[in-house]
Formats: sequence, C-alpha cells, structure tokens
Amino acid sequence: MPKQIRMPKLSDTMEEGRLIAWRKKVGDAVKRGEVLAEIETDKADMEFEAYTEGTLAQIVVDAGATVPVGTLIAVLRLPGESEDAVAAAQGATTQPQTPAREPQAPAGQAPATAPPRPAPARAPAAPAPARPAAPAQPRAELPPPPPGERVIAHFAADDDRIRATPRARRLAEEKSIDLSEVTGSGPGGSILVADLESYLSQLEGQPPDSEGVRATPLALKMAGERGTDLEAVKGSGPGGRITKSDLLAYWKREHAHSKEREAVMVRGTLQLSQKRKALIRNMVRSKAEAPHFYIQMDVATEALRNLRDALNREAGEKRPRLTYTHLMLKAAALALERHPHVNATYRSEENDIALYDAINIGLAVDVQDELVAPTVKDCQGRTVWQLAEEANSLIQRARMRKLQPADYADGTFTISNLGMFGVDRFYAIITPPQSSILSVSAIAERPVVREGRIEIGQVTTLGLSVDHRVIDGVRAAQFLAEIKRLLEAPRELAQDGHALGS
Amino acid sequence: MDTPSAASALDVRRLGRVPYAEALALQEDLRTRLGTGASGETVLLLEHPDVITFGRSARADSALLGDAELRRDGYEVFRVNRGGDVTWHGPGQLVGYPILDLRRHGADVHRYLRTLEGVLIDALADFAIAAVRRDGYAGVWLDEKRKIASIGVGLRAWRTLHGFALNVDCDLARFRAIVPCGLAGVEMVSMASVLGCPVELEAVAARVAVGLVKAFA
Repeated sequence: MPKQIRMPKLSDTMEEGRLIAWRKKVGDAVKRGEVLAEIETDKADMEFEAYTEGTLAQIVVDAGATVPVGTLIAVLRLPGESEDAVAAAQGATTQPQTPAREPQAPAGQAPATAPPRPAPARAPAAPAPARPAAPAQPRAELPPPPPGERVIAHFAADDDRIRATPRARRLAEEKSIDLSEVTGSGPGGSILVADLESYLSQLEGQPPDSEGVRATPLALKMAGERGTDLEAVKGSGPGGRITKSDLLAYWKREHAHSKEREAVMVRGTLQLSQKRKALIRNMVRSKAEAPHFYIQMDVATEALRNLRDALNREAGEKRPRLTYTHLMLKAAALALERHPHVNATYRSEENDIALYDAINIGLAVDVQDELVAPTVKDCQGRTVWQLAEEANSLIQRARMRKLQPADYADGTFTISNLGMFGVDRFYAIITPPQSSILSVSAIAERPVVREGRIEIGQVTTLGLSVDHRVIDGVRAAQFLAEIKRLLEAPRELAQDGHALGS
Repeated sequence: MDTPSAASALDVRRLGRVPYAEALALQEDLRTRLGTGASGETVLLLEHPDVITFGRSARADSALLGDAELRRDGYEVFRVNRGGDVTWHGPGQLVGYPILDLRRHGADVHRYLRTLEGVLIDALADFAIAAVRRDGYAGVWLDEKRKIASIGVGLRAWRTLHGFALNVDCDLARFRAIVPCGLAGVEMVSMASVLGCPVELEAVAARVAVGLVKAFA
C-alpha cells in the first residue's frame, strides 16, 4: 500500500504548517532518513524526513502553501507497488486525520455516508483549503485505510500526550513498558515497535542496582535529580522495574501530602484591602520598570533644631507647631523648584521625559498597618507654615481614614520618614510614575569629625532613591546636596514669613 | 556507553566573536555528533561580526538593500535554513545556539520556542526589564512595537540548529538596512537603549547560561 505523507504535528499547539520547499521531485527515489521537504511552524523550520523507503509518486501540496496538520501532502510508492495503488491512496483522504477542535461537517460534503474508520477522524473546523486541491472522490468509494503502523494520538494517565502506533501500544502493554520513557522515531516523535525493541534491549543490558532496587535508567536518573528514595516507590514496569510513570504518581501523592502539611503550618491568611492590592501592584511595577539607584548623605541637624525651636517659640499659639517633617517638606519643595529635572517622569508610551509643572509632595504615612501617601499640592512659593497646615490636615484625615482619592493623587515626589522608629538609614521604593523618593531616618547623636577633631554632633542620614531613566548620578547628587545645604543652613526655609524678621 | 547523567548534561560554551560561517559549521558539526552520540547537548553563546541572515521564509522586500550594497556597507550576507525572516547580528548582541535533541525535551517545537523565550524573559527581568511574548510573533518583546530578542530555529530529526539573538548593547542603527523579521513598523531595541546605560554582555551571558541549564539540563 502506498505511503501517505501528511503534514506532521511538531507541537501540541501546532494547527497548521507551511510547506517551505520540497527537497525531492516526483519520481525521485527516497531512502529512509532522507529529507523530503522543509516545513515551518512559527519560527521553526523542520527538515521532514522519510521514514520508509520508496519513490515520491505524487506531491499534493505545493511549496509555499499552508495547510492544517494531518493534511495529505504527498504520496510515496513503496518498492514494487504500481501507479494504480498510488492513485487510490492519494484519493483516500485529503482531509486531515488529526482531529481538530469542533466536530463540524464541512459544507458541500455528503455527511454520514463514509464507512466507519478505526480511528475516529473528525472533520476540522473550517479547514484551510489545501492548495492545490486534490481531485475529490465520492466518499462512499473510499478504500479502507491502509494497514500497518499508523499513528494515533493517545492520552496517557498523566494527561501527557504520547503518540504511538497501535502495534507498539499493544506490545508496550504486554511487556509493561511505560511509553512515556520511550523515545519515538516515527513522524511527530511517535513510538514505533522498533523503538520499543531497542528500549527493551537497553533494559536487558542494565546492571541491577547495588541495593537490589530495580528501576529504568530514566526513573533512576529522575529519582537521583530530586533525591527520591526509590525504596518507597512501587514498580510496575518490565520485571517490576520502577518507571517514569511510577515515579510521577509517587511524586503526585507526596506533593498532595506536602500541601496538607503546608496547610497545617499556616496560621491564617489575610484578605488584601484594595489599597494593599494597589500597593503590591505599584511596588512590583516600580522595581520591575524603574531602574533604581541610591545615594545618601549625612546632614548635621543642630541648626535645624535651633530654627524649629526658635520659630515655634515666636509663633506661640497663632501658628501650627513646626516639626522636622514640615521643614523637610519645605526643603524638598525648594530643592525641586531649583532642580526641575528631578520633578519629572519617564513616559514609556511617548518614550520621553515629562517635566511636571506643579510640585506635589506625597508624605508616606502609616495608618493602622496601612500605608498611604497623601499629597501636599502646589508646594512652590508656599511658606513652611502653609505647608505645615496642609500636611497636618492631610495626616489627620488619613488617621481618621477620611482621605479622598484626590488627596493622594498626582504626587510628583515623595518623602518617607522612618526616623520616629529609630531607623538609621534606608532607601524607599519609588512610587510610580514619580522618579525619586527621599528617605528620612532618625536624628541621633553621632561622633562627627569637624576641623580635624572628633565631636558629638546631631546627625541624620538622608537617602534618595532615583529612577535612572530620568535622573543621572550627578543630578541626583546635586539635588540631594541642595536639600542638605537647605537643612544645614536653614534660614531660607522660614522665608516669605515674618517670624524671623529677616 | 552513554550513562543517563552524561546524557542530561548541557555543555554551555562561551565563545568570543565568531564569524557567522565558522559558527554555522561548528553548529552543524555538533549536531552531527549529537546524532551519533559522539557529543552531548551543547549551547554556544557568542557574538558575530556584522552579518545579515535570511531565513527560509524571508520575503524579497525584507532587505532594503541588495546583497552587493549590503556587503559594501560592511555586512556579511547569508541565507540559512532556519525559521523566520531576515535579521541582523553584530557586536553587542548575545547570540545563542542550542544544539539539542528535542525528543529529550518533549518533542514539541512550539514548547521549545516558548522555553527559549522564557529563558530570555527571566534573564531580562533580572536586569529590571519587563519583557513579554507576543502571540503569533516568536521572539521577546517589550510591547506591540518594540522587540528586544529574535528567535529562529531549524530542526533535523528533532535536533536543533540556530537559536536566539538578544540585543544587549549593540548599534541599533545596523538594523536599518533590513525590515527586522519582515515586520514593518517594528522597532528593535536593546537592553542598553531601554535602561539608558551601558550593559555588560558578559553579565547577560552568564545569566542566560544559568537559565538555559535550568531549562534544558
């Protein structure tokens, strides 16, 4: 019986293939293993080999055409066969044999007149027309499918699709061979009887394990990789050997047990609030998209403390009590005004850097285990007391959980302060789409060197996390140095007011 | 005799800058030796000098210049038996050629392509680049338009040839002589162009090598 050559299935997800080129012409003698054609799917080219000897009798699908998997593409005449047999084989089925998605009768074909076939071949959903179309024969006259080894798909117990010929499948059952261990040399990697024979002869040459446990070489290797003790595994393969399937089933059971153990170890789970979900999304996005770098500077804070105390003394009850946070806020606002390229964002859609008009500074606040960053809007040109009043109002509303979405929207920069928790230094993660964040740590007494002498000084360490897409090292350094200068010589922070009468 | 553990080892070879023809001959040789069992599975990691290669499905208009003009502009030109259209290789691009027997890895061409993409996507993530697959377009992408790595493979008896090319820190202007992958409107980008800073090819190669060993050994 002439051999039907079909578009091979090179992948479980392959539905059609393109015939790039025929390497043999009609009439050419073909040896087993010789390349017949080149076939492409996705970005992979496969040299398609003959697995039987014969003569290329007919090319059904021309080079350049794309056809569904299983479509008859050529007919090979076996040694000693006549031309007539070829015509019959060619007419046998031009439809793909591999079942496609939905059973659906193709239009224009007489339904239900075809004789039953051993392998239930369903019609493909809207098959792409094979070019050129083979001469259609009435289906009632179809000859029976060719005998011999034919490849059908098979679903093994572990749902892994294994292809093997029915004869190979029968032999495997007789000899207790785990088909998932056998390398197929047929079309689409399907397993032939010859593959089983070579597998068995390989097993026979295998020396017994030193501890008396017998497993197939593949199972031995897999067990070794995962450190599985084979003593506990039951074998169902040839001679009671442990096979790949035995091992997989064993691991599946073990995995189920470990899930149970894990459930015992977890004390409870926490439902995520909308804010927490947004935070998770934002932080992951920030770390994945914004290439962070970090710089830090020590800042002497004696002058800042003196200024704060003086301002609060003079202001009395009329003005809000200033804190270090308020002064940091004012310093950051001034520095951003002077370094507008820091008050900016990278826009991937436009592939540009947008400079913000407004200076909107977010203050990261922890409210009952929830992190929020209400935004002090339009900081440019406002006095430290105005900023302090707005910051206090926002923080108070945050504590009462009265913040509206607009209160934490549109930030262009953020200050995160962990000083009150005794943190010496840290780097916060940038809040997208902003491009930097200032990390404020505890003010503490530390030894400092001044004019060659070691003294006790009041110092804090400021950290700046920066998105390198927007800000380079030098600019980041200049910006942080500006903040340091403003904090160490802080008179400017109180300007525009009249408390100091300067 | 081939022991199971020897069969599972993946030999990753770091080569320097290798002319295209030389690398192709080495691949063919390794694939033949893999078929006869004379050597195991191998991955070559290397760079090429400026070269333009056409895959089997390259369309006539994928190169914007003729072969002679391309050669005059300093490109070598090859037509090769891999999937895909036209592409450029050159300094600063990490090229990987896995010589594998796909029957040891599931005998599934698409799965192989997706695995290669996955290795590159994981490596890029380590450099803070979020890359993705694009349905129907093999390769690694940043979005619908921007492509950072190309993939094209050739198989004989399930044994692979060709592989992937990841733009690490290369002269992207060298792509301008072609329509990459035959897709008009696609912008080729590199890790360096995305991150806005130089990227060491060696560091990326080391990361990719780890991913390949995890995926295939």
